Amino acid sequence: MLFKQDLLWDIWASVFIIGQAFVYGALLGVGLGFAAGLSHRVELLFSGTINTIRHIPSVAWIPLVVVWLGLGAPAKIVVIAKSIFIPVFLNTLQAIRGVDHNFIELAQALKLSKRQLIRRVILPAILPVIMVTLRYSAGLAWALVVIAEGISGLEGMGFLIFRAQNLLMTDQLLVCMVLIGVIGYALDRLLYMAQRRLLRWQRGFGGSYA
Amino acid sequence: MLEVRGATRRFGNLVALQDATLSVDEGEFVTIVGASGCGKTTLLRLIAGLDQDYTGEITLRGQRIVGTSLERGIVFQEPRLLPWLTLWDNIAIALDNAPLSTAAKKDAITAQIALVGLTGFEKAYPAALSGGMAQRAAIARALVGHPSILLLDEPLGALDAITRMRLQEELLRIWRHERVSMILVTHDVEEAVFLSQKIVVMDSSPGHVTANIALDLPFPRDRSSAEFGAFKRQIFDALHDNAAVKPPEIEYLI
Repeated sequence: MLFKQDLLWDIWASVFIIGQAFVYGALLGVGLGFAAGLSHRVELLFSGTINTIRHIPSVAWIPLVVVWLGLGAPAKIVVIAKSIFIPVFLNTLQAIRGVDHNFIELAQALKLSKRQLIRRVILPAILPVIMVTLRYSAGLAWALVVIAEGISGLEGMGFLIFRAQNLLMTDQLLVCMVLIGVIGYALDRLLYMAQRRLLRWQRGFGGSYA
Repeated sequence: MLEVRGATRRFGNLVALQDATLSVDEGEFVTIVGASGCGKTTLLRLIAGLDQDYTGEITLRGQRIVGTSLERGIVFQEPRLLPWLTLWDNIAIALDNAPLSTAAKKDAITAQIALVGLTGFEKAYPAALSGGMAQRAAIARALVGHPSILLLDEPLGALDAITRMRLQEELLRIWRHERVSMILVTHDVEEAVFLSQKIVVMDSSPGHVTANIALDLPFPRDRSSAEFGAFKRQIFDALHDNAAVKPPEIEYLI
């Protein structure tokens, strides 16, 4: 294990972790964010717990979760999903609270059901915030994957880069740095493209100003 | 058809609307005129069912109004189009819960877009529309479900004078074409005289109805005719009288 050389496998291991953690964290964050955003009672139920958990950094969770779930992927997925869940949940909740009341009134006048209100008004209204949060937290989560693999793990980009450090293999270390950067960039581009597609209707300040 | 009897709305100690009474006949165009703060928007919101915290009675065809209904279409001060929906979808959303087939909905939307003169802009997003076009789309959205009454809350207030005049003519054309009752809230006396068969004048502190004036001029009306001017004068007088008989008010800042 310590001398295995299979770069593609290690890349896959890391991408596998961030991919799963991202999907779970984002779905749970948006889902619970919606539940809390639409019901004050649900908000009260969750906010205390979540506000407590969120002040313990994800890195501090790693040792405990590894004890529970072992050195493999599941432990890392849990910790990283949590690191994505928190900002997505909080931003979804706040964005729902910030939806223009005029639109809610319009929905009332049009007799939209609660489901229609969510699908046609609230979800599109908060999508810009959700997309930014997803991109931002994906970046943080990718960094966390590298750290988590470095701290505890026997495969993945994080494992490789820290092993290279310990073995003074500067060439491998540099390759890992570049690859981590490239994968992080690709991840963000993917989300950026999704954002562009989903927010076609938006026409804010485009950036050119003469 | 629509009857408002003794409608009173309080916000805490403030009486926004006191004992308002008015009636609208089938197919009638009624305008509510008054300065800011006279309770005219409050009254319209009660009729729309957006605000249910009042005393008195409001009935539509004998039925007491409870909540909003597709029977009562509303156009707000600003177009209030959903920016993430195309013009077509913004109008189609009003038919989401209509008991119509997909084909019937499509026909209704197409016809409504044509009626407000927006054919060709179906795929445009609201950000690409001018203020006048957006307000036309809002009118189409309110009308597409064929409500029995259309409530217009200063819909032309934010437009420039030329666009406003053009849209007043459009509104008149739409009203005559659709034969739908309309209640228009405005502070523009000329707009009121140009469009209405009946004008309700309101005044503030507390908001109440001060005059009911019937206008029997034939449509379309000539803004520069003597009769038009005489009615304008009458409305101005009604608005002015209110101001004249009031005791001097103490002004204070909150």
